[in-house]
Amino acid sequence: MAGKISIVLIEHSYLLRAGMESLLMELPEVQLTEVFDGSEKRLAEKILHLKPDFIMINPKSVRDSLNSFIRSLGNEVPLTGLIDENTPPEIRGKFKHILVITDSKYDLLNRMHKLIGTHYTKKSDSHESRPLSERETTVLKHVTQGMTNQEIAEKLFLSVHTVTTHRKNITKKLGIKTVSGLTVYALLNKVIDMREINQ
Amino acid sequence: MRIEKDMKLADVIHHDFNLIPVINRFGIQLGFGDGTIEQICKEQNVNTAFFLLIINTYHDPQYFPKKHLQSFPAGSLVAYLHNAHEYYLEQKIPEIKKLITKLTEESDEKHKDNFKLALNFFEEYERELTAHIDREETSVYPYVVELEKVIETGATPKKVLARMQSYSIADYEDEHENVEEKLYDLKNLIIKYLPSVQKDVISYKILRELFDLERDLREHARIEDMILVPKVEAMEFTIRKMS
Ligand SMILES: [Fe+2]
Ligand SMILES: [Fe+2]
Repeated sequence: MAGKISIVLIEHSYLLRAGMESLLMELPEVQLTEVFDGSEKRLAEKILHLKPDFIMINPKSVRDSLNSFIRSLGNEVPLTGLIDENTPPEIRGKFKHILVITDSKYDLLNRMHKLIGTHYTKKSDSHESRPLSERETTVLKHVTQGMTNQEIAEKLFLSVHTVTTHRKNITKKLGIKTVSGLTVYALLNKVIDMREINQ
Repeated sequence: MRIEKDMKLADVIHHDFNLIPVINRFGIQLGFGDGTIEQICKEQNVNTAFFLLIINTYHDPQYFPKKHLQSFPAGSLVAYLHNAHEYYLEQKIPEIKKLITKLTEESDEKHKDNFKLALNFFEEYERELTAHIDREETSVYPYVVELEKVIETGATPKKVLARMQSYSIADYEDEHENVEEKLYDLKNLIIKYLPSVQKDVISYKILRELFDLERDLREHARIEDMILVPKVEAMEFTIRKMS
């Protein structure tokens, strides 16, 4: 699902789960990828495999193993805690964001919008808004000439792995996945001209 | 929202008007009156359970069809998918192509070549989508219809068994590729890299069409992967047991 923000929810209470599901339905840019109740085996592993953009978790759903659970998730994906007024501060402090489940729908939606906003800002101040580097531009040029990663690697004295990384970054920065899409981009931005693609 | 048989179809369409092309694929057209889904399906000779299965899958990306909902003729599923293909190739694609052509015409002289690139890109996409659809129409769907016939008549021709050996539905599932990637690229080309034309009126229309087609294709592929494939797997299983 290109473009949607993916969320994984861990919540043991059926009603709260249903409530969160219906709240998230109101946010068209968001997709609830998977829901867990917290008792699953090797939960962190399963979640990381889904590569979500956000993880929402009710700390009560994993109880005793909260710390080890958070540790095994690493800190790549921001954690949002689903808490209430009685949640002790030391637990609140474990989360990057919090959502107070007793809040009104209006407040909850507001909070969600802010949360989703952080996702886009995070993306644009990291590498994604920077223009292509010189190396990436060279790789792009060869891609549009129909060269394979292997061929590009040989030509530029790089490992295939490095070329693959460059290609991933090009796609991330430009938002263009296919070779012919990249060719159009390269022509529009004069990275190559018409004569070069016919070579 | 889960769509149920005793809801009025008109209410459902108010709630999600993107379902209009979907109900069309069942032969149900606007002007259908005040009836519930069940009544209208009966009038139009449509299997209600199957209709609900498809519109729910389409309406709600979280909806995951259950096994017990698989009791409908494979032929009607194939007919539905075929109508969707026709809609993409005969309506959507020409519509978008017309809009991109118009955009090219209205653009400044100095930008015309740029828009021609976009048009070429879209035409290349059209060829890819046509090839994808052709493969399904000429190879996969006839196979599904054939399997259903085998189960009905109880006789298994050697040809069908050979086909099950050489190219079963699992092979289709493996190869079934994503056909929306180029649409995503085209959206970004228009949003980020092509020059603006005449207050963006046409570009906005194109983007709406692209978002629409992208979503439709995504749900279509989901129906193929999550409804067609398990259905055919079950049929293959039955036939293997029979013979
Ligand atoms: Fe198809
Ligand atoms: Fe397909």
